[in-house]
Amino acid sequence: MRPERTAQLVAAWARLYTRGLPSSLARRRIAEIEADLHDQIAAERARGAGDRGIALSVLSRMVRGFAADVSWRGGAAAASTVYRLATAVAIGSVLFIFWLMGAVGIIGVEGDPADLMFFGVFAVGIAGAVIARTRPRGAPRALGMARALVAMALAQALVGAVALAAGKHEAAISSVFEILGLTGMFMALFLGSAWLFRQAARRRFSSEEE
Amino acid sequence: MPRRKPGTLLPLETEILVTALSMSAAKEGTFHGFGLAREMREQSRSRSLTAHGTLYKALGRLEQLGLLASRWEDASAAEGRPRRRLYELTGEGARVAERAVAEGAGGAARRSPRVAPEPA
Repeated sequence: MRPERTAQLVAAWARLYTRGLPSSLARRRIAEIEADLHDQIAAERARGAGDRGIALSVLSRMVRGFAADVSWRGGAAAASTVYRLATAVAIGSVLFIFWLMGAVGIIGVEGDPADLMFFGVFAVGIAGAVIARTRPRGAPRALGMARALVAMALAQALVGAVALAAGKHEAAISSVFEILGLTGMFMALFLGSAWLFRQAARRRFSSEEE
Repeated sequence: MPRRKPGTLLPLETEILVTALSMSAAKEGTFHGFGLAREMREQSRSRSLTAHGTLYKALGRLEQLGLLASRWEDASAAEGRPRRRLYELTGEGARVAERAVAEGAGGAARRSPRVAPEPA
């Protein structure tokens, strides 16, 4: 029994349980296992261990780690799904606002310059996402995105407050109820996305992506 | 694997931090998966190495908690072998490890020191 054969088996198992996960996450786990296997075989040979003993040790490490591998995969897959959902809600919300601006106008009538304030909300989101991208992948980045979405919700609240202070609710087509309602709805969408990002971080969204 | 109480570390995770601290004291600033498993085997005088799944799941969890940081080894340093993922204790990780050592939680750890519930 050659250790290299059992190492191939362990690598095949790693490829199997990482299948369907985000490719960066899967690549990292597989590469880390392959480096570990190489190091173990080299180190055990250097200290004079026989091939059969090394192969059994490699096999034993794989078998004893089965439960942890499966559990890790479950957590990573669930977190990955939640992260994607959070991203979809955030992008969908921005596109929805953008569409409303062009189609019917959000504050006042279509083409009211007050709608330009929403670009400030988008800018806050872009800045927050850029900052989040500087953090390590996984939970830290998901938390960064959550903060970016909370900042967007606060910017959205500011837009509503400015619109009311500027008397936009006095226009024939707008009302206090409408401005507050739309502001609340957009804030709920951003905060919902932020909550999903936090859930992704909590579900042990692995920081192992690279 | 023992059930985790919220905000606490599992014995294996504590053992990893304590081992990393001792390796750090021996001027090994960074460590890799197999190197850590070997060191843990020697320190605990065990016959077997920690299983792959258990080890890398615990390392990921510690990194997620902000107690470890990691990066890929430079390709030039790998010298033809697969590149290693290099880990190192963060400041918070070192503090938790020192606390565990002070409480006698190293090696066959039984206590679970509290850690921050969320990464920084």
